[in-house]
Amino acid sequence: MNDSEIRELCNRFFDAYQDRRIDELAEIYAPDCIVWHNVFGRETSGRDNLAALPESYKQQRRRTYDDRTIDTFAGGFVIQYTLHGVQHSGHRGALWICIVGLCKDGKITRIDEYMDSSKFAAWAGVGRGRTR
Amino acid sequence: MRDTELRQLCHSYFDAIERRDVDRVAELYAPEFTFWVNLTGTESSREQNLETLRGGYALHRRRTYDDRRIDTFETGFIARYSVSVVTHGGRRASLWACVVAQCKDGRITRIDEYLDSSKFRPPQETSRE
Repeated sequence: MNDSEIRELCNRFFDAYQDRRIDELAEIYAPDCIVWHNVFGRETSGRDNLAALPESYKQQRRRTYDDRTIDTFAGGFVIQYTLHGVQHSGHRGALWICIVGLCKDGKITRIDEYMDSSKFAAWAGVGRGRTR
Repeated sequence: MRDTELRQLCHSYFDAIERRDVDRVAELYAPEFTFWVNLTGTESSREQNLETLRGGYALHRRRTYDDRRIDTFETGFIARYSVSVVTHGGRRASLWACVVAQCKDGRITRIDEYLDSSKFRPPQETSRE
């Protein structure tokens, strides 16, 4: 995949995530896609990740993936972005996140996600302190 | 910079931090170097970051940057790695982190670091090795 194709795939992925289009995400994940997270340190399958999304989406009124800075390398991309969330209470929060995505044949084969879980409570509006 | 040069720069950086060679780290930073971390969301300057490094070494007996997976792009590198520390009390702990570095003319001009600060908490008794 060339630079443009990888960038397009990356933005397609985040647009679909943002718009809650799980069918589109299923198209983007390779059948053997793995999702790993620095908070838990364990791998889950793309299928399990998608299965958890409907419940996850219920937790916020809106989530947007903004300020996307994308760099591509041979075999994938790194994206640095701000996840903005609007809770059902109206509380707004933001998290800074980085994802390294590996890609092949137009699909994502692996996602490694890095974030700071200490900010989750503030992001959700249930803790003290700054939201970002 | 070529892929090989970027990879070498990345390893030189982590190796220097690991062996507490702040003078070498300073050589690898461009004069306009900026450091950003997702814990605070604020930028710090080259001198501020070098000072933080010097001060940070007192916190642990040893710190190593392991399991480095490096990818390079046109203007920099991404490193995914484990930071493993041994405290003065002998406890071991590790966390997973990722840096995105911008580079130019053999030096690093910017680092964005992403990690999980909840992993800084002292390990539980059961995790002692």
